[in-house]
Amino acid sequence: MRRVALLGAALLSLFAAACGSSSSSSSNGGSSPAPATSSAPTAGAGLTSPTTPPGAKQPGGTVYYTEGPSAPPNYIFPMTAAQVCGTNNISQLQTMMFRPLYWYGNDYSPTMDPDYSLAEQPSFSNGDKTVTIKLKPWKWSDGESVTSRQIAFWMNLYKADPAKNYCGYVPGFFPDNVTSVSTPDAQTVVFQLNKAYNPEWFTYNELSQIYPLPLAWDRTSLSQPAPKSDSGHLPDSTKAGAESVYKFLDTQSKSLGTWASSPLWSVVDGPFRLKSFTSNGQVTLVPNPDYSGSPKPTISSLVEQPFTSDTAIFNEIRSAGPSGVTVGNLPSQYAPQIDQVKAEGYDYNRAASYSINYFPFNLNNPKVGPIFRQLYFRQAFQHLIDQPGWINAFLHNTAVPTYGPIPVSPPSPLLSVDVANNPFPFSTSAAAQLLSSHGWKVVPGGTTTCQKPGTAANECGAGITAGEGISFNLDYQSGVTTLASEMNDLAAQAKRVGINLQLTSHPFDTVIQTAVACKPTDADCGWTAENWGAGWIYAPDFLPTGESLFAPGAVANYGSFNDPQGTAVINQTISGAADQEKQALANYDQYMQQHLPVVFGPTSIGSYQGDAGTMIAKNLGGYAANAYGYMTPEAWYFTK
Amino acid sequence: MTGYIIRRLGEAIIVTIGVTVITFIMLHLLPGSLARDVLGPRASPQAIAQFNHDNGLDRPVWYQYWLFLDKLLHGNLGYSFQFNRTVDSLLATELPRDLLLGGLALILSVLIAIPVGIAQAVRRNRMVDHVGTGVSFLLYSMPQYAIALLLIQFLSISFHVFPAEAPQSTSAWGMLSHPAGLVLPVASLTLVTFAQFSRYMRSSAIDTLAQDYMRTARAKGLPERLVLSRHLLRNSLIAVVTLVGLSIPVVITGTLIIEQVFNFPGAGLEYFNAALRNDYEVMLGITVLVGLVTVVGNLVADIGYAILDPRIRY
Repeated sequence: MRRVALLGAALLSLFAAACGSSSSSSSNGGSSPAPATSSAPTAGAGLTSPTTPPGAKQPGGTVYYTEGPSAPPNYIFPMTAAQVCGTNNISQLQTMMFRPLYWYGNDYSPTMDPDYSLAEQPSFSNGDKTVTIKLKPWKWSDGESVTSRQIAFWMNLYKADPAKNYCGYVPGFFPDNVTSVSTPDAQTVVFQLNKAYNPEWFTYNELSQIYPLPLAWDRTSLSQPAPKSDSGHLPDSTKAGAESVYKFLDTQSKSLGTWASSPLWSVVDGPFRLKSFTSNGQVTLVPNPDYSGSPKPTISSLVEQPFTSDTAIFNEIRSAGPSGVTVGNLPSQYAPQIDQVKAEGYDYNRAASYSINYFPFNLNNPKVGPIFRQLYFRQAFQHLIDQPGWINAFLHNTAVPTYGPIPVSPPSPLLSVDVANNPFPFSTSAAAQLLSSHGWKVVPGGTTTCQKPGTAANECGAGITAGEGISFNLDYQSGVTTLASEMNDLAAQAKRVGINLQLTSHPFDTVIQTAVACKPTDADCGWTAENWGAGWIYAPDFLPTGESLFAPGAVANYGSFNDPQGTAVINQTISGAADQEKQALANYDQYMQQHLPVVFGPTSIGSYQGDAGTMIAKNLGGYAANAYGYMTPEAWYFTK
Repeated sequence: MTGYIIRRLGEAIIVTIGVTVITFIMLHLLPGSLARDVLGPRASPQAIAQFNHDNGLDRPVWYQYWLFLDKLLHGNLGYSFQFNRTVDSLLATELPRDLLLGGLALILSVLIAIPVGIAQAVRRNRMVDHVGTGVSFLLYSMPQYAIALLLIQFLSISFHVFPAEAPQSTSAWGMLSHPAGLVLPVASLTLVTFAQFSRYMRSSAIDTLAQDYMRTARAKGLPERLVLSRHLLRNSLIAVVTLVGLSIPVVITGTLIIEQVFNFPGAGLEYFNAALRNDYEVMLGITVLVGLVTVVGNLVADIGYAILDPRIRY
């Protein structure tokens, strides 16, 4: 999901560039420091309860939904491979047909929703080294029950080598940390873990990856009969067999033209089944009459419309209105026209997704890495980010501020700390003070240089030489007017404290590919700062912990942040005691807010990053914002 | 003529191979890694190495090119990681739609530009000519994007006359069954192309009108209608035939803006997206196709010359 969120941002941005943008380019210049504490979020309140339009509820009707620009679904098997891991496949297709074991996003709250989950809350025992899961009574559309065998089926496939390509996989974590899976009865699954894990973390970031798979999929060719629960030996029970089954399902999933007629994908346990999928990416889902959950769908179909650009989405919303687009994500560059769009017959939902925006420094850059590694420098630089100003002037109040690794919005009941407190509010004078108190001669408008090399508290720091200036390249995603405005403002503010930023821009993919974790001697370690315009969406690791982001060697620790104390606070969120998780998360957030492994900036709202929110036809009821962007059209209904 | 066509087709193959070599080298000079791009920010070094191995990306560039040629010779244009589909299937979906949209616009442009250009030439420096020139300059100088948005604003959003979206059918025939949706995209393309063609037609017709055989035709009492249709039209068409020949590749990939604005997925947009996402094989596949079509377009123009002017021999 993360990848496509990022790609979605890139696409939206590129088309914004191609199609023009109405974003304001005004800058407040930051001449006066912001208040010491941040302003309240100006967006992201979202729908806290489902829409309830006036009028009588009526059954039937077709909902037309906008897919992201040039991002139609292209993978249906819910063990989603990394290269196709995105909103387009997961939340806009798979989860409506194939339910995950646990459902995350209790409407707008970033928590698990027990009502939508297929199992009771997991119980942890044996010092949190044993996890027991009790399944609810649930049926597949072929009449088979959802049983523990099907969880074992998922785990067997996941442990097969090819499935390590699953986008939820993080080396060393799930399923590597599961030493055995047993199924004492049809409704019970027991995991033995390699060590004790915090139950909340394990539930939100590890069990969150599981989808029960129907036994009808446990085969290696379509010509084989579909296995049943009373079938004896099934191929997935051996490693070689599991690999063969995975490869078969992966191949079938890539055969897009056969999806609608496939005997595999017609077996669903979700509220919808696939009626048709066209070669240009239009999806038509219709209710699964055998759906076990509640509520049952009342709409007659959900049609997801493919679009080529933000402009095409906007034009369709404006010209066809709710009869052509029932639920649509409004591209960010059209935020100034929200009132006009609402007048077409829409409600507007400005729900923030549970994500953060940031960009990394390359702390291992052989030239300026020593400067980036100084905490005071990172704090001074964070003081130059005018989040309230950017949100107001450039983002038209369709973003929320970000001060640390835990999102400010939507608020989480799993936290005991106010993450909306900004420890480094915009202030060029505070930035200058931090630099000058550490041995730098600050030259506003010129080049600030190190006057006191050395490692004492009032000196520049290790690896920084006398007379050295602060000058580096900041590369950002091209084609995004709002991002360009932000970076230009940042460069202007930096210049006011003598930091010279050379701004360059490249396509999203180039930026994200350049930001690689590296050693100073590596050939690709020359990058200094890369801003791809989006950050990180917490899914399918729904608890905002840092094992993937800021731990040494973590898959997304692009800047090579390596702080033993920081690693310790991350580990505490993973392995701490069950009743200590709130405190562990608070410690983690506070530590990272202060130590700034990356530069935090405003996070756009919307189910795709870059969206200005969702437009919902005024006669559509039951629509609720999900904190993670999942869709629950089974709850939607039309009114007269 | 047959020998000429065979010779030109041979040249086409050589040109296309040359284009693929240049494109292949340029693509490999681009910064970044396809594996990182495809597998995303979570990808571990092991996953990236495995991806590179599985797709031959850890082999020398010349060997990768050989693999590409080998696949091409077997009719396999490769695989799009972005769309998780073969390039062949992508083009099979998009080409008929592109040909319909671009072809309709091209035909309409020619049908409008020829009489307008002739009318302007015949009434040179009179009101018809001035108005025609003004309209042509206006349309030609406007970005296609602006024309498309203006049409949508007035005819879709303000007055709801035509839909803002092209027909979403996956087949050309299905699109034709929703003609209202084709009006604005075809009009946007036609207005720009017509403006260009009509200027060429006018210029060519003015040259032809000054020829001795035109004076002779009129002197022998041929009615003006026949003078224009038999002598002026045929002899003025060579310039337009050249333009049409050169426009044939544009039919496939030259409608990028229209595809974006009117929600019309086609090969032009495909190429654009592939370039942004390092989807190499899509770019190579479309490059091969456009290279071939360019040569074929020129060949068609050459044949057109021979038909229009019997003096031309190959």
